[in-house]
Amino acid sequence: MAAAPSQRDEARSSSGSSTSSSVSEEAEWLDADQDGDDDDDQEALAVISLVDDRVFPDATSMLAYCRDEHGLDFVGVRDRLALDFHGTVKLINFIRQRVHEGIAVSGADITAADLDDDGYLKPVLDDDALILCLDDLPEPAGTAAAADAPHGDGVDGLLQKNAELQAQLEQLAKQFSSYRLAVQQTLDQRWEDAPAGTESKGKEAAKPAGEDAGVVAKDESEYYFESYAHNDIHEVMLKDAVRTDAYRDFIYQNKHLFAGKVVLDIGCGTGILSMFCARAGAKQVIAVDKSEIIDKARENIYSNGLGNVITTLKGRIEEVVLPVASVDIIVSEWMGYCLLYEAMLPSVIWARDRYLAADGLLVPSHASIWMAPVADASYVADNISFWRDVYGFDMAPMQRGIFADARPDVLPAAAVCDASDTARRAFRVLDLHTTTVADLVFAAPWHTTLNAATAPADVDGFLVWFDMFFAQSRHVPPDMIGPATTALDWVADPAKRDAGLVAFTTGPFGAPTHWRQGLLLLDDRNKKKLAKVDAAQKHIGGVIEYVTPDGHARGVNIKVSFGPDGKDDKQDQTWLLH
Amino acid sequence: MSGDKMDIETAEQRLKALENSEQHYFNSYNHHGIHEEMLKDEVRTRSYMNAIVQNKHLFKDKVVLDVGCGTAILSMFAVKAGAKHVIGVDMSTIIFKAREIVEVNGMSDKITLIQGKMEEIDMPFPKVDIIISEWMGYFLLYESMLDTVLYARDKYLAKDGLIFPDKATIFVAGIEDGEYKEEKIGFWDNVYGFNYSPLKLTALSEPLVDTVDMKAVVTDPTPVLTLDLYKCTTADLAFSCPFDLTARRDDFIHALVAWFDIEFTACHKPIRFSTGPHTKYTHWKQTVFYLKDMLTVQQGEKIECSLHNRPNEKNKRDLDIKIQYRLETQDSTRQAEGTCLYKMC
Repeated sequence: MAAAPSQRDEARSSSGSSTSSSVSEEAEWLDADQDGDDDDDQEALAVISLVDDRVFPDATSMLAYCRDEHGLDFVGVRDRLALDFHGTVKLINFIRQRVHEGIAVSGADITAADLDDDGYLKPVLDDDALILCLDDLPEPAGTAAAADAPHGDGVDGLLQKNAELQAQLEQLAKQFSSYRLAVQQTLDQRWEDAPAGTESKGKEAAKPAGEDAGVVAKDESEYYFESYAHNDIHEVMLKDAVRTDAYRDFIYQNKHLFAGKVVLDIGCGTGILSMFCARAGAKQVIAVDKSEIIDKARENIYSNGLGNVITTLKGRIEEVVLPVASVDIIVSEWMGYCLLYEAMLPSVIWARDRYLAADGLLVPSHASIWMAPVADASYVADNISFWRDVYGFDMAPMQRGIFADARPDVLPAAAVCDASDTARRAFRVLDLHTTTVADLVFAAPWHTTLNAATAPADVDGFLVWFDMFFAQSRHVPPDMIGPATTALDWVADPAKRDAGLVAFTTGPFGAPTHWRQGLLLLDDRNKKKLAKVDAAQKHIGGVIEYVTPDGHARGVNIKVSFGPDGKDDKQDQTWLLH
Repeated sequence: MSGDKMDIETAEQRLKALENSEQHYFNSYNHHGIHEEMLKDEVRTRSYMNAIVQNKHLFKDKVVLDVGCGTAILSMFAVKAGAKHVIGVDMSTIIFKAREIVEVNGMSDKITLIQGKMEEIDMPFPKVDIIISEWMGYFLLYESMLDTVLYARDKYLAKDGLIFPDKATIFVAGIEDGEYKEEKIGFWDNVYGFNYSPLKLTALSEPLVDTVDMKAVVTDPTPVLTLDLYKCTTADLAFSCPFDLTARRDDFIHALVAWFDIEFTACHKPIRFSTGPHTKYTHWKQTVFYLKDMLTVQQGEKIECSLHNRPNEKNKRDLDIKIQYRLETQDSTRQAEGTCLYKMC
């Protein structure tokens, strides 16, 4: 893996193509500044070694360690190259970048040309304590000697020295603030330069309609990523205990899988899964997200003292340059409504094929999608019939979209009207280690048996949900996960629980999740057709298809054909999810 | 029908050309959910219905403009009240549904629906007698269409024309909200064992739209903004108001709550509704501003406050809000003073 440092900088900074990134970056600087004024924070100074992960209370002891144990004489290099403040900062970042990439650094080989790139002004480590306490370093040998010479030992001498030191401190403070400004400007410039390059890479980028008028419309994905920049959605996801507990339980109950491993977290959001992995003993976690929320993730990771384990990268997983060639584990919470809405899974698959080690693990490892018929008269009255009499007006046209869209909604278990749990089969089971992008567009047979109380005429629609499974290996026994396996089976099995196997359902028989279920309501035409089927007919089936709609790369169209068993004449309906 | 299809295509193209933030605003109204929620908000819809249908003497043979007509429910009320003609304007593509709804209800000859921005469309009438609009957003002004209503008033409303509604007032009170503050704000202190304080700061800066129990209200409510829609201008939407809150009982104050009242004063019998904690639920709920400190107040004590509001410079539908508070007491341990900045976006 030979990524030039400047490329990595490019990947980190150019992906945020909007000016708001620079605003948040600035906010971070201001925060850092405030922290500097805070005595509590200064006491907790931790200087990370230039050559490895060891942490020291101050720069002097760290540099002594690097010199004595690893033969890297930082001050020596600085003096040999006669580096000023900016040069010294670049030297730090140059070394850190090399070490980060696993390239051996020899102090004697570093030349002034190595430090030409202003990209090295950008810190490799967030809040690098070494940069913050550069003034603690010994002065260059020559100047120190010259400065010492004229002073006597008396009080005057000490006062004079004190004044000189004070002047020096002021000088450094000025240099530091100009360094900050320089970084700021470099970043701003890159962000301004970036959009043309990054936008064109977005494959699904729709041709902006207003381009000629000079209006650059953002593509669908931009909006998708922006929608994850706010707190609310992360609060909803974190407070979805079914979801977050499952990831936590699997990671904490299987620490042996994570200990010493390199983990990639795709779409890290606030960083929660990365931090679980770090606490479980991962050697390195790389957290990637395109949304602005990653700025918050970085802060969270730092304030929880996990900055030395977790590296955050801002950008699409397909565009960022990872600091490693391969990873042992990919953890991701990529699921959308009806499992595949939002289409984040293809990115996970892409990353799996590109980065996951041959025997690496995906967390979660399997997914299954289910569908059952539903009948719920009160739901229909509140949400469909409602439109026929709105304050005395008929709003029938408002009904039509109800049947055209898959509605995310939570239905009670009592609304499900098939015969029994045992007859239910998932119409799709995905082994995420082997699933391809082509597998996500599919047609699968499905079948249901209505319960005794339900005639075909009573069916109001279908309910789609998914179950997620967390296995400990990519090689699971064939009987462990199949079309008849439900997440609730796993949860109810004490042997599986004790073994650290985790699963959860988003279906009507478990606690509601933020994914709700996907409700597919039958339109009048299809209701009428079903009403003509013999009331005693219990066996209904057909084909369910997941299709990517034109112009909506992140959407899903679900087409279901259905009819009594044994008849070729099926009816069908298509629902949109976008 | 094919004409309609063309309309939809041009409308979609026009939408695409808008700035992203604007686009989101207009598009979010395309989904049924929001219209369903608004129509099912009985306090809202019934108040408008009564204000219009019970005042046939005002509407008979009048030309009416419905600004941001949505599903056209208010336009249809106006026809029921005897209006000669109603023009409904909405940027959102919901207007194509509205056109069908009007057709189904046999009012196509009485209602003209125009898709577009109020500022850009060609009006079939040079002047209108009455403007009706349901323009209010959360905290009255967030994502509100008031600026559009005022534009329509200045350009199209006849001399002595009427506006429904014509008066809006924002109220503020102090509330005891310890438990919920802990759940919403304290949550970020410990998220599955991790410190999420960066998100706590954001949470504190985002006013919370939620229902507040009447029992939580600790102080007398105080009006901070009253808008007379005949006179006000868009400049009034940036305002600054000093006010006092007087404690009704000994209690703690964790937050300020804001809501608004709406009045139709032109009606024969004035009609008003409130979105406050003391009355029936509306989809606007109330807006809660958490304070950094918890104030400990005794009955009769006054908290000196001020509220500053201005539309965000980048996105004028977002609001920047500043609240200052000061509690002066003999007991120095209860003295408190602070400034909080909020952003509704």
